[in-house]
Amino acid sequence: MFACSAFLARDPIGVRGVDAARNGAIRGRVDLRKTPAPIEPRPNVADLGAAAATLDISDRLRSVVYLESAPRGAFEFVETTHAVMDQRGERFVPHILAITTGTTVDFPNSDHIYHNVFSLSKTKRFDLGRYAAGHSQPVRFDRPGIVRVFCDIHSHMNAFILVFSHPFFSLTDNEGRYRIDNIPPGSYNVIAWNEGVQSEPRAVTVPDGGVAEEDFALR
Amino acid sequence: MTYVLRRAALLAAVTLGSAVSAFAQVLPAEPIALAGGRVTVAGDVTASFGPDDTGFFNYTDYEHSALRLFRVDLTTSVTLSPHFAVLGELRDENIETLRAYALYLRVRPWIDRPVDIQVGRVPPTFGAFARRVYAADNLLIGYPLAYQYLTSLRPDAVPWNADELLRMRARGWLSGFSIGDQTLENGVALATAFRWDTGVQVHAGANALEGTISVTTGTLSNPRVTDDNSAPQIAARVSARPVAGLVLGASASQGPFLSSVASRGAVGDGHDRSFTQTAWGGDVEYSRGYYLIRAETIWSQWKLPALGTPVIDRPLTALSTYVEGRYKLRPGLYVAGRIDHLGFSDIVGSSGTESWEAPVSRVEIGAGYSIQRNLIVKASVQRNTRDGGRVTNATLVAAQLVYWF
Repeated sequence: MFACSAFLARDPIGVRGVDAARNGAIRGRVDLRKTPAPIEPRPNVADLGAAAATLDISDRLRSVVYLESAPRGAFEFVETTHAVMDQRGERFVPHILAITTGTTVDFPNSDHIYHNVFSLSKTKRFDLGRYAAGHSQPVRFDRPGIVRVFCDIHSHMNAFILVFSHPFFSLTDNEGRYRIDNIPPGSYNVIAWNEGVQSEPRAVTVPDGGVAEEDFALR
Repeated sequence: MTYVLRRAALLAAVTLGSAVSAFAQVLPAEPIALAGGRVTVAGDVTASFGPDDTGFFNYTDYEHSALRLFRVDLTTSVTLSPHFAVLGELRDENIETLRAYALYLRVRPWIDRPVDIQVGRVPPTFGAFARRVYAADNLLIGYPLAYQYLTSLRPDAVPWNADELLRMRARGWLSGFSIGDQTLENGVALATAFRWDTGVQVHAGANALEGTISVTTGTLSNPRVTDDNSAPQIAARVSARPVAGLVLGASASQGPFLSSVASRGAVGDGHDRSFTQTAWGGDVEYSRGYYLIRAETIWSQWKLPALGTPVIDRPLTALSTYVEGRYKLRPGLYVAGRIDHLGFSDIVGSSGTESWEAPVSRVEIGAGYSIQRNLIVKASVQRNTRDGGRVTNATLVAAQLVYWF
């Protein structure tokens, strides 16, 4: 996540307009009409005792807003960077990661028990095997798309990695606020996404050097 | 200023991803949470396809083979308060009678301490595999012999002498004796994985060291809802994780095995608690990277009344050991294998000394492939050999489809 923020603060190569136009931004809010349910462990009746509670839903309130189409040059932008998805308290932290293609995500294990991170997504299929606390495994994401991440040992652990081939996206904060910067002036289709649910594309015009406002409501 | 807009590849990827996961969207992929997460419902559906098992190597009772089974499990957890939860499981096999496989109250007296008390039809305390019988947890299609293979022993019937017991060698799928209930029924496994016992269970500890003790109405071989001999079984288990990936476990249990009707029919009143099943077990699991290895051994002893000659003059014992392993070849694809043996002690009959049941061995190898995270297809081949019975060996090929949410 922090990797993406740093990323957006810069001016992507080739994105700055061919003339003297100043880049603008889109900002707004994504409201979730229905609060996402907490991530519940399966009610495994075979357990001899209660499982650890994992009722924090704050990560599930975060959405991703992105441009469906992007200006010329955006796709030539390649930055090899790192992001981190930790395994902590039998949860993936963060629950949602938005990155660009070419990013390597590190999956450290911060728990005292084994985890086994894997994904069977078309975008990226991987299985990191079991490794203990203090160890980490990297995965590089070269194709855009949505990657669902799970733990093979703890079925309630799951996360999303959204891989974009351009830098025009933003992760909302816990209140749903977002801002996509450095967008060349023009008309774009903008989409909001939360936990597999996405909005219809909205046409938004970014003024020269200005900020366009667009709010979304999901679920 | 003109910008040439190009469709982001993400759109195509999102669309493609949606199509691929269409199945997952039709059927739930995660537990169904209701009432703000206080009620969760999960399910397992398993369809196993195999050939006719004429040697009854894989039967779990007279009518059900583990290799030919359509099973639906529906599990529910209702959290009443931070201290109380009710858990239950309904199970149906081959679309017959829906049964309550588990139903118990879980009490956590102290929120911040890992101590739980479970009351009702509770999960097995003894051993390691009994809590992994769900198809998604079982590496292969068949089950370890100790938890599934039917010996000729019955809790409601007693052989008059050693010859009568020996006549039932390799007949566990349909066994009968002259004392007690004389109708033919299936015998019992060392520690059945297909019925749970009823009673009280206390579990304490987490991760590094855990301990469980339970008092239940039945025994390992014959878990029950209602008591049939006025005496409980006591079972205990301790497990430790000395290093990451290594689990060591030890279990023990003892309780009256014969029903009151059977023991009174054999030796009269006053002996209901004399004819016990005693078991000891040890298990180990180690995993790292892409491999997983497990081993478990169970020793069980049954005391039966000494009646006619040739007399069954000592307790009957059985020893089972299996080693199983799994290796992930690539994401979603694994291979697995299990080597298993179940042996029995000798008794003296009219025609000499012989093991009271026919020793049986099984080697099973197979593979599993995850079509998606919660939809797995498995295939396996198993070689069964038995030192007795009408069918002494069988090679069986099976396939299984597993869906869970």
